[in-house]
Parts: sequence; structure tokens; C-alpha cells
Amino acid sequence: MTEERFQEFLRAEAQRYNEPPETPTDEMWRGIQAERAARDGRRWPQRWHHRAVRSPWVRWGVGIAAALVVGIGIGRFTGQGMPGGTQMAADSAQLEAESAPSPYRWVAAEHLGQVETFLTGFQVDARAGVPVRYTAGPAQQLLSTTRLLLDSPASEDAQMRTLLEDVELVLAQIAQLQGGQGEAGEEELELIDDNIDQRSVLLRLQTAMTAEAGVAGGQGAL
Amino acid sequence: MDEQQLVARVRAGDARAERALYEEHVDRVYRLAYRMAGDDDLAREFAQETFIRVFDRIGQFRGEAALGTWIRSIATSVVLNGLRKVKRFRQREVDLEIARSAGGSQRQAEPDLKEKLGRAIDALPNKYRMVFVMHDVEGYTHQEISEQLGMQLGTSKAQLSRARARLRESLAEFAGEWAS
Repeated sequence: MTEERFQEFLRAEAQRYNEPPETPTDEMWRGIQAERAARDGRRWPQRWHHRAVRSPWVRWGVGIAAALVVGIGIGRFTGQGMPGGTQMAADSAQLEAESAPSPYRWVAAEHLGQVETFLTGFQVDARAGVPVRYTAGPAQQLLSTTRLLLDSPASEDAQMRTLLEDVELVLAQIAQLQGGQGEAGEEELELIDDNIDQRSVLLRLQTAMTAEAGVAGGQGAL
Repeated sequence: MDEQQLVARVRAGDARAERALYEEHVDRVYRLAYRMAGDDDLAREFAQETFIRVFDRIGQFRGEAALGTWIRSIATSVVLNGLRKVKRFRQREVDLEIARSAGGSQRQAEPDLKEKLGRAIDALPNKYRMVFVMHDVEGYTHQEISEQLGMQLGTSKAQLSRARARLRESLAEFAGEWAS
């Protein structure tokens, strides 16, 4: 009996809890329209039929892949000597390899720059609640490049290796996102977002890029 | 125009259908957001974000549940996630307020029932609070709550029961109000 009375009492009293004012229907509608237009503009600056081709993620993927192939090719070329070349040319190549940043590092620096831009965009979108279903593909491409770099001499440097491993983990998580943003999706996003922060991935990416730029600038190689 | 036709028109990009869908559901979404947020700006933000997602994902609506249920399940997700994000910020504000009041000698008046109840509801974990607000304040059924929060019917009932027990404990000094 007392429990029933308490429930009745609670229901009556709780009506005053955070009592909503009249719904600002028109104002919110204008806000929704403005926000949708802004997000569409950010996400799809081009016309629909050009989306896939002109997507920055696709362009990055192609760019990174090309840079990596060229970089690794140059690396093998300079690292193993020139088949059929003269001794003088080989010595010259060896000298150059010793004095200039290796092509692997150059490719790694390029790649880290792309990852930093990608993760920054991802964090901004995830925190704003923008659907991130279009990011899994680019994350997969960046992940492949990261793994190639992990298997390359670029990862001989311990700091670079640790950074690449952390980048690999975060990109793998993003690549596995399915695009549905129910509560589980939100939690996944938050977990990835926290992971990026806790591992200071963006800060370390920026530091690594600055260091690479310093090496390149100091030696005049890039 | 029935619900299926409305959804089909929204999917086709019909702006008037979008507005009709919005008008049909905005009140309940905003009311729930406001009850949970206790703040107009935040409630607007949650309600707007809900409809942005609704229009963005209308292609995923398969009609297995009522449109209103689907919309409000998005709303509850937006609200709960949004509240989690502002929680840390609010905690800092509370800490500052406590620090300020600790220095003063002014004696606080005893809180009245409304204030005490408000604080007690605020202190509930957000998922309990959501169930309590939906059921006891906004009049949703357990069936609706379980569908919208993606939980079992029994879980909804259990959470409401726990929420009420906590509130009863917090309001023990006002027991005369409901015992008489």
C-alpha cells in the first residue's frame, strides 16, 4: 500500500522535473537544415556521380600506394646497388644513401602526414556525430601501407616502429567499423577516439613529421 | 498519407515530407531530450542531431518497428551519448561550485521537496534516469521503453524499480508526504 502511494506521489511530483518549455519547432528546423547543408558540403563537395572517383580518401590511397611503390623501389635500388652499373656509380649511390634520408623514411613521413590528416578528420566527425561509414575503406588502404612500412627498414627505428604499431591498431579499429551508428557504434567510435588520445597518436605523428622534415631540410634532400 | 508513403517520400528527397515527418515527432523527441538534459540549448542540440541522423539513415529504416519507435531509439542513443560527453564538463562546474561555497559562511536553507527530488533524479545513473523519466514522467510503456532503448522488457521494469528504490531512499525525510 505504502509502495503504491509512493509511486503515485512520485509520478505526480516528478512531473515538475525539468519541465520542458514549448517545443521550438521552427528554430530547430532551421538549425537542422543549416547543419545538414554544412555537413553535406563538408562531406561531398563534388557532385554525386563523381563521389567515388574524387573522394579524397581514394586519391590518398592511390597517392600513398604510388609513393610507397616508388619509395621502396628506390630503396631497393640504392640499398642493393645498381645491377650492371659501374663501381663509381655504386659508391656514389652508397654515399648518397648514407647522407640523405632513406626513401623508406621519406615514404614513411609522407604516409604519417596522410594518417595524421585522416585521423584528425575522423576525430572531428566522430565527436560531431557525423556518420563515419565512408571511412572504413580509406582506413583499410592506410592500414595496408602501414603494414608495408612495418615490414620495411623504415621501422628499424624503435620510435617509428612503436608509432606505426599504434597507428596500425587505430586504423584496424576504424577499418572494422560497419557504419551502423546505434549505441554500439557510438561506443566503438568513442573507444577509438579515446585510443587516439590515450596513445597521443596525433601528437606523436606531428612530432615524427617535424623530425622527418628537419632531417630532410637539414640535408637538403627533400 | 500513411507512414510508409511518408517514409518513401522522405527517401526520395521530398522536402515537404521531411518537414511533415519532423513535425509529427519533434515534440516527443524534444520533451524527452529536455527532461534528460534539463537545459534548453542541450535539448535543442540533441533533438536536432536526432533528426539529422533520422534523415541521414532513413534508407536503413526497414519498417520492422513503428517509425516513431525508430526515431526515438535514435533520440535516446543521441541523448545518452551526449550526456556522457557533457558529464565530465558538468562535474568540473559542480566541483567549482562546491569549492566556492566551502569558503563562505552562509548557511544553505533546507532544500524543499521539489529541489530534493530533482537532485535525487539527477543523481540516478543515466540509464535508470532515462527509464524513470520515460515511464513515470513522460508516460511511455515498458514495451515502448524496451524497444527504444534496445533492452528486454524485464530489464526496463527492473531498472525502473531500482530507480524508484533509490529515490525513495533519498526522499526518506519526506515520507510523511506519501504516507498520509
